[in-house]
Amino acid sequence: MIQIQHLSKTFVHPVLRNVTLRVPAGCLYGLIGPGASGKSVLLKMITALMRPDAGTLHVDGQDVLGLSEIELASFRLKFGMLFQNNALFDSMTVADNVAFPLRRLGQLSETEIAARVRERLSAVSLAEFAERIPSSLSGGQKKRVGVARATITQAPIIFYDEPAAGLDPVTSQKIFDLLRKEQETARTTVIMVSSDVDRLLTVTDRVGMMYRGSLVFDGTTSEAQTSEHAHVKQFIHGLAEGPL
Amino acid sequence: MSKMFSPIIAAREGLFSLAGTLGKMGIIAHQIGRRLFRLDFDHEEFWRNMYKMGVKSLPIVALTALFTGATMVVQAAPIVQRYGAQQLLGWGAGFGILREVGPVLTALMISGRVGANNTAELGTMTVTEQIDALRALAIDPIAFLIVPRFVAIVLTLFLSTLYADAVALIGAAYAGQALVGVDPSTFYNGLTSGYMGIADVTNGLIKSIIFGIAMGLASCHFGLAVSGGAPGVGRAVNATVVASAAGIFVVDYFVSFILG
Repeated sequence: MIQIQHLSKTFVHPVLRNVTLRVPAGCLYGLIGPGASGKSVLLKMITALMRPDAGTLHVDGQDVLGLSEIELASFRLKFGMLFQNNALFDSMTVADNVAFPLRRLGQLSETEIAARVRERLSAVSLAEFAERIPSSLSGGQKKRVGVARATITQAPIIFYDEPAAGLDPVTSQKIFDLLRKEQETARTTVIMVSSDVDRLLTVTDRVGMMYRGSLVFDGTTSEAQTSEHAHVKQFIHGLAEGPL
Repeated sequence: MSKMFSPIIAAREGLFSLAGTLGKMGIIAHQIGRRLFRLDFDHEEFWRNMYKMGVKSLPIVALTALFTGATMVVQAAPIVQRYGAQQLLGWGAGFGILREVGPVLTALMISGRVGANNTAELGTMTVTEQIDALRALAIDPIAFLIVPRFVAIVLTLFLSTLYADAVALIGAAYAGQALVGVDPSTFYNGLTSGYMGIADVTNGLIKSIIFGIAMGLASCHFGLAVSGGAPGVGRAVNATVVASAAGIFVVDYFVSFILG
């Protein structure tokens, strides 16, 4: 379970304001909101890639902000993460990118790693692209490689930052369906940030909406879809008129 | 009133900015030092960078060195002929090449090729979140990326300087034969006649190590500090080239002064 209380962060302007959020274990949580509302920053806070100015953050009962750099390294093994820009390593092949987290863990033999990589690449329908380099792939293929890398360590918590950004509607829906299937199979806790609200809501259990650094809504997917909250209603239904 | 003080304010801000940059480079130096002390760095990444930075720089270093050596003789030729000092040509060319021209020009060449490229790569990795991805995968980016690159830059510059010194001397010897009629063996005798000592060789090599440290720190710092997408990468590369070139000349002065 992820428990966030009164989290705040300011760069030049405030990017997170007093955010309190609870994500139950095994939940697929969708985080929505307009651009620059603090969604990606919140994900980076939870993975301890950024430190907040104020607030508390507990993951599976562990006080994340109290961890030393060495403790953080082992803490991050709990996570898989798909970055907004995929963050694939340009100098490595697709297979090496996917294998990279496992190789760094050093717990499996090369044969076992190769088998796991084949299985992951098959799951994202990219088995025949194993020896290609990321720059030769399309946007959708890169996303799928990112998904394979994020899930290869079978981490109990996975974050997806804009898993469908820049993809066509069909590929986008396929990615969301794949992520839901993966989450249901492994019973992982997932936080997914996406601007593609229509498709996101087809797979989430709960939804939170960020606006100008604040969490303005937190509820189940059906509550979000029927919410009369002005920001939520406008954003989910894509209305031109409203407070956003 | 504010116009009158604007140059002072600009100078003050420039100084603060320089102090900030040097401070951040100091922090990176400390982080590198700690990991180097424990030999905690990715050896595969180190050898990959040695090949990419060192081996692939050899042709351009050789070309630069060959013509630098020849140019030294072109400049010296009228004086050598006027005073009939053919026996001193090897000493004169060797002194200039080994102490000053070899290390400085090699450093400038490596700075343009290796330093700028290193900043561009690290900068691109920063803006595309690859550095964050490493940290998210519980991998220390300093040990995995920065230390191997830093060590590879320092070693590349040191070895390239050695190589450039040798090639420049060969260039000077053959230019001496072509332009002034000084036989290569006479050139060699001048070089080893006793006017030059081992200090003249080590002086240049010590400089190359210090240039490499400055260049490695600058290129890694500016690469990691990139913000603002692709234009930010361009600005960082520009900052690395300017800082490295300026740093090489400043460091050259002080090292020359200290080492005599």
